[in-house]
Amino acid sequence: MTASLVETGTTPHRGSAPMGRLLGAEMRWVLRRPRTLVMLGLFALVPILIAIGVVVADRGGNGLIGAIAGNGLVLPVVAMTLMLALLLPLAVGMAAADAIAGEAAHGTLRGLLLAPVGRGRLVVMKAFGVLVVTVVATLVVAVVGVVAGLVVVGGADGTLVTLSGTTLGFGEAMGRVGIAALWTVGQLAAVGAIALAISAFTEHPLVVLASVLGGLIVFGVLGAIPALDWLAPYLLTTGFSAGADVLRDPMSWGDIGGSTLRALCYIAIGGGITTSRMLTRDA
Amino acid sequence: MATRRVWARAGMGLAVAGAVGLGLLAMPAGAGAAPELPPVSAEDLVASVIQSKDPGPLHGTVTLDNQLGLPAIPGVPQAANGSSTAQVWSDGAGKGRLSIPSSQGEKTIVDDGTTVWAWDSADRTVTKKAVGTDTHTPPEATATDPAAAAAKAVQDLRATSSVDVDGTATVAGRPAYELVLRPLPSERTLLREVRVAVDSEKRIPLQLTVLANGSSDPALQVGFTQLDFGAQDPALFAFTPPPGSTVTDAPARPGGAQQHEQGQEPTVVGDGWDTVVIATLPPADQQPAPGRDGAPDLSSLGKPVSGAWGSGREIDTAVATAIITDDGRVAAGAVPAQVLTEALAK
Repeated sequence: MTASLVETGTTPHRGSAPMGRLLGAEMRWVLRRPRTLVMLGLFALVPILIAIGVVVADRGGNGLIGAIAGNGLVLPVVAMTLMLALLLPLAVGMAAADAIAGEAAHGTLRGLLLAPVGRGRLVVMKAFGVLVVTVVATLVVAVVGVVAGLVVVGGADGTLVTLSGTTLGFGEAMGRVGIAALWTVGQLAAVGAIALAISAFTEHPLVVLASVLGGLIVFGVLGAIPALDWLAPYLLTTGFSAGADVLRDPMSWGDIGGSTLRALCYIAIGGGITTSRMLTRDA
Repeated sequence: MATRRVWARAGMGLAVAGAVGLGLLAMPAGAGAAPELPPVSAEDLVASVIQSKDPGPLHGTVTLDNQLGLPAIPGVPQAANGSSTAQVWSDGAGKGRLSIPSSQGEKTIVDDGTTVWAWDSADRTVTKKAVGTDTHTPPEATATDPAAAAAKAVQDLRATSSVDVDGTATVAGRPAYELVLRPLPSERTLLREVRVAVDSEKRIPLQLTVLANGSSDPALQVGFTQLDFGAQDPALFAFTPPPGSTVTDAPARPGGAQQHEQGQEPTVVGDGWDTVVIATLPPADQQPAPGRDGAPDLSSLGKPVSGAWGSGREIDTAVATAIITDDGRVAAGAVPAQVLTEALAK
C-alpha cells in the first residue's frame, strides 16, 4: 500500500512534502484500486442499459424515464438523478471506508499517523481521494450518458427538449448536463464527508458502508412519512430530486441552490468531525 | 501538541457551524415583523383594488397549500391535501406564461397574444387554441365608479360578515394589508375567517387564506411566495412545439358547458355564509362512465346518511359539506350537515 506515500515520508525535507505531490499520489492510489475501476466500469453500463431499455420499450413511459424517449440528451441528467439515490453514494461510501477505516483495518493508518505528514494534510489528502472518486464516478455517468443518449436514443436533432416544452441547442444542453454533474458532485461530497467522519471513528470499513447506505435508506423513509414533514429540511435526501430542475426552462434555481446549501452544511459537519477526530486520535 | 488541539477544536467548531447552518436553512422563510403602513379603511382598500391598474410585467411563484381534507378522488390527485407551486410570468400586455412543475414533469401554458399553447411533458402533447382579442376586455366592474362599487360590495358583505382591515403582513417579501372577512355570529358556517392580503403599493391581492372552525392552520392558502415586477424576457411568451411532440387543436367548446346545459339550473337556499346550493345530477344513463377523464367515480365517497329528506351520502371536508342523495340531488355549502338536510327538506 501507499508506496508513494512512504517515499514522500522519507524525503530529505521531512514534513514538508509538497501538497500537490501528496494529492497526486493519493489520486493515483485511489484510481488504481481494482475495485474502483470495476465499479466505474459497471457505472458506465447503467446509462447504456437505460438507453437500450428506452429504445426497446419504444413508447413514452411515465416520469423522467419517459422523457428520454427520442430526446437522448436528457439521459445523462436522468441517469445521474437515478443513480444518486444509492449507486453513486455506494461508490463514495466505498472510497471513504477505504480511506481511513480501511487503513486502520490493515494496520497501515498507524504508519500514516506517525509519518511526518501533518495530520491536517492527511485529512485533506484522504478527503481529496474521496472527492476524486466522486468526480470520476459522476463524470463517467455523465459522459457515457451523453454518448449513449446521442448514439443509442438519438432524436430531437441534437437538441434537448426541456420538460417545459422548449428546445435547447447542443451547447446549452451540455451546459445543463454540466450543472447537473456539478450539483451531483456537491450532494455526493456531502455523503462523502459524513462517510469520512464515520470512517474516522471505526476500523471496520463495512461499518462505514452500512452506515452510508442504511442512513440514506432511513433518510428516505423519514422523508416519506407525512407526520415527519418538519424533518424534511434537515434531510440530505430531500433535495435529491432537484437534479431534474436543470431540465426546465427557464431553469429554476430554488431547489438546486437550497439542496447545495444543505450539502455544504453536511460537508462542514462531516469535515469538521473528521478533522477533529483525526487530530486527537491516538496513533 | 497544542496546535493540534487548537485545530481539533476548530474542526468541532466547523461541525457545529454546519449544524447551525442546517437549522437556519430549515427555518421557514418567515414572517418577520408586520410592516408599518398608513391605516386604510376596508372600503378604501377594496376601492383601490378595483381601481388598481394592471401591475405590469411580473414574475411570481404561486404556492397552493391545500388542507381542505377532500376525500381521495381516484384520478384527481391534485385535490388531495398537500402543497403545489406554479410559476407565472406576465409581460403586462396580455401575454403570459404559466408553468406547473411536478417532480416528474411539467405542464406549461403560454399565451403569446394570439394563441394559447398548452404543453404537457408527460405525453409530450401540445394543445393550441386561438384566442380572440376580445377575451382581454376588462370586467364591467371597472366601468362603473370604483369607489361606489367598492362601497356597495362592502355594504353587501356587512349584511352577513364583519369586514375589517386587520393589520399588515409581509407576503412574498412585500408589505401588504390584511383584509379579513369574518361571518357574523348568526351565520351557521364551517368557516372562521377569510383573509386577503393586498399589496400596499400595487393594490393587487397577494394571498388568500381560508380558515375553518376548530383549526389554527389554514384550510386553504393560495398566494405568491415570490414576486418580482419588471420587464420579462420576451422569449418566455413565445412557444414553438418541440420536435417529437403531438400538436392538437383544442375542441371548439369545452365539455363543461355542455354538461351544464343538460342538468337543471341549481337552486340556492339561504344567503351569506350559510348558502346551500342544490343541484340535480343528470340521470345515470347520461353520465359519462366513471373513471374516464373529467368524471371521477364519486359513488364510493362519503358516509351514508338518511333523514326525513331521504337518504344519501355525506362528504365532509374542512370547509364544506356535501350530500349526494340517492335520488340524484346534490346539496353543498360551507355549512354543517344539519343546514344541508334542512335545505334538502324544503
